[in-house]
Amino acid sequence: MTKLVHNELLKLFRKKRLFVIILIVAALVPLFTYAQYQQAKTTQEKLGNADWRTKLQQEIVDTQNRLSSSRLQDDWRKYLKIRLAQQQYYLDHDINPQAPGAPTFMRVFVENSITLLLPLLVMVAAADLVSSEASGGTIKLLLTRPVKRWKILLSKYIALLLSVSFIVTAVAFLSYTISGVVFGYGGWDMPLLTGFSTKGEELLTDNVHLIPQWQYVLMEFGLVWFVCLVVGTLTFMLSVLLRSTAAVMGIMLAALIAGAILSNMVSSWESAKYLFMVNLALTDYISGMATPIEGMTLGFSLSVLLAWAAGGLIIAFAVFTKRDVY
Amino acid sequence: MKKKGLSLITALSILSAFLWLAGLAWVIQDQFFSAGSQSMDTVKPDRDQTPSIPSDGKSKKLHIAALGDSLTRGTGDPDGKGYIGYLKQELAKKTKKEIELSNSAIKGQTSKQLLDQVSQQQIKRQIKGADIILLTIGGNDLFRGGQGLQQLNSQAINQTEEAYLNNLKELYNEIRSLNKTGTIYHVGLYNPFSDMEDSKKTSSIVRKWNYDSANAAAAFPNIIYVPTFDLFELHVNEYLFSDHFHPNKEGYQLIGERTASLIHFSEEEKK
Amino acid sequence: MSRSPALSVKNLRKSIGKKEIIKGLSFELYPGEVFGFLGPNGAGKTTTIRMLVGLIKPTSGSVHIGGKNVQTEFGEAMKDLGCIVENPELYPYLTGWENLEHFARMDSSIPESRLKEVVDLVDMGNRIHDRVSTYSLGMRQRLGIAQALLGHPKLLILDEPTNGLDPAGIREMREFIRFLAEKEKLCVMVSSHLLSEIQLMCDRVAIISKGSIIRIDTVEALLSEQERVVWNAEPLDQAKHLLGKVTKVSEMEGKLITLYDEDQIGNWNRLLVNAGIEVKEMRTKLPALEDLFLELTGGEHID
Repeated sequence: MTKLVHNELLKLFRKKRLFVIILIVAALVPLFTYAQYQQAKTTQEKLGNADWRTKLQQEIVDTQNRLSSSRLQDDWRKYLKIRLAQQQYYLDHDINPQAPGAPTFMRVFVENSITLLLPLLVMVAAADLVSSEASGGTIKLLLTRPVKRWKILLSKYIALLLSVSFIVTAVAFLSYTISGVVFGYGGWDMPLLTGFSTKGEELLTDNVHLIPQWQYVLMEFGLVWFVCLVVGTLTFMLSVLLRSTAAVMGIMLAALIAGAILSNMVSSWESAKYLFMVNLALTDYISGMATPIEGMTLGFSLSVLLAWAAGGLIIAFAVFTKRDVY
Repeated sequence: MKKKGLSLITALSILSAFLWLAGLAWVIQDQFFSAGSQSMDTVKPDRDQTPSIPSDGKSKKLHIAALGDSLTRGTGDPDGKGYIGYLKQELAKKTKKEIELSNSAIKGQTSKQLLDQVSQQQIKRQIKGADIILLTIGGNDLFRGGQGLQQLNSQAINQTEEAYLNNLKELYNEIRSLNKTGTIYHVGLYNPFSDMEDSKKTSSIVRKWNYDSANAAAAFPNIIYVPTFDLFELHVNEYLFSDHFHPNKEGYQLIGERTASLIHFSEEEKK
Repeated sequence: MSRSPALSVKNLRKSIGKKEIIKGLSFELYPGEVFGFLGPNGAGKTTTIRMLVGLIKPTSGSVHIGGKNVQTEFGEAMKDLGCIVENPELYPYLTGWENLEHFARMDSSIPESRLKEVVDLVDMGNRIHDRVSTYSLGMRQRLGIAQALLGHPKLLILDEPTNGLDPAGIREMREFIRFLAEKEKLCVMVSSHLLSEIQLMCDRVAIISKGSIIRIDTVEALLSEQERVVWNAEPLDQAKHLLGKVTKVSEMEGKLITLYDEDQIGNWNRLLVNAGIEVKEMRTKLPALEDLFLELTGGEHID
């Protein structure tokens, strides 16, 4: 099996796909770095010359004053206390929450690219994994070896898993090293809030807690990795079903873009939450952003994505092992 | 070369797969099973450094640091300015300097709590950089939020005052050690109960409290104890908010104007 | 032929939808022989070959390679098979050597030394480390055969191996295939739509038309049976009359055509000459594939 996986990785590698993807990321990161740099500068200007520490101290005092009010609900009080601890930490450690470091950039970058950019990159790597063998005719040589078909497909899938992992790592590495040139490489210990959940219209804060940024980033990349695997698996299935790589890319592209559009307009169409492309923004659950459709939770989205991936994988294997190859 | 590159990438991919899997597992653990456990312990301050004071032209700006309780916060003023706000307005008329105000007062704060607050890095920083320090404190020690006075016998009040005075001296000491030159204006107490039946008794307590505080202030250089007792002595109801404890807009205006009148500017600082 | 067959096909059928496109093929191939699989385009050659190598599942019937069933013992059966189906499509972005390595990794029984052997066998040592995208069709064809030979197969299936090659290439390929069968004792199955090609390199041949095998025989038998003699004689009518008495005669483009019978041909000629007929030309003619088909199928009216 390792030899088969080696074969598949060799082909991926020699087709220069990974190389192209890394180039794309390396070209985009400086772009986003500049954008964020400009944004930070604008924020700085809005604040005027006032020292950010003074402003933060004011926020702390404001929070303390709100806490002293007696008509506060318990969970909200708890949330405020956690926020207070976070703000106090920034002050004590001289961390300006408005001035991003490289880890902050990484975080913002993946949060913004989890629904479209990274899935697209993964799609590029996965789209022709099987279809190119079919359209290039090499599948005939591949399938007349003393190796069972499911093993061949599995080796391709493992190669996909590995290259997806590689892409995510490359994104992490590039976004950190390139943005660090501008923002500096510090800020891993900065505490961030997480654990929000929504129930109906309400934002529930009873599970909110602080985690250091390095853990936050690791968690977000874990989610990004998961999303990329799901998108990769679905692309893989299409690649098995279709001979044309262009068709695979076209369908996947349409689905991903439709997901981005739908996320903005499906709030009243409830059953849309079972579509995989509406559930890609997993990092929003960590940072406590509103979900596109009521009733979506992290657990729900993970399950939906998992179900789609499992379905895709079953179809891919069923079709590939049974199909007549012409 | 080619082969090495491929093995390297393969090894890297396998490692990253495990890393991201760990990240995902952590998400699940953190979001589903942590049940709001306070993991704040993990982010306890691990270094103790005093942030440097920004050296932005001290001569052009007038830095005011306000500390204390609800009076400094402005509770009772529908505009939320408090005496600080009116004081700032008054000062703006007098000086061409840009006034930069930081209000760190917290409602319901007692002298003990203020002492704790002053030990915070950022508050220290503000005190250090301030030209003027405004302070209201003691009301919550004495009145316990507005109803405690009647129940207390004189012995208990004496004990409370003693503790308060100790805190106050320590507070003065702390502020002075941080900032040798800035003038401290400690705004005194008034008696919100001066129109009540036992006003004689309450007024005498407040007077004594003010007198002792002023004495403590006198032991330090550049601490002005600003009396407010007289402002509210007559017509107390006209100057109090509906809670019969905090000043209303007019009451704050009186305090603000009085304090502002004590602040002097040199010729070149004047408008 | 007492040895066990390298390939054994029994009643192989394939239907797509309701249409049966392969209608019960049965044949056996033995080690050391080159077997021709002859039929016009669309007769079902490629579909049959794909079923033999396991790319397409037969609707019914069985295929055994080296005694192992392709359906149930896929891995074992494939170990004895090397094949090129249609064009030798390899990975163009890899070098020839990397292509061979790639396929060698898929069969753990192939030692590394075997790669060098097959490269020498197909004689492409100097170009093997170039990318396949730079190869000519002939080079690819050779590399295709090299990859097919990697696993020491007992059976080599080549689909139209001379397609697109120049005359020198065709000749080389033919000699190479004969070499493999005679020296390496392989069983080689070659499909083609050109009779001339089959005739030059095969020992036996199966003729397939519309999904059925109409004939399996040795090449000599098939050809001699179908060989014709063309007579150009004067006067034509008299010659036709005379020959008609001893054999079947047809007239085409002012010439007479009879079957070729080695024993009788001298007698027939003497008959004409004795009758004072002038025989201007008398030559044997190999039938074209079309003629053979017309001959074999036209008369019987299959379908």
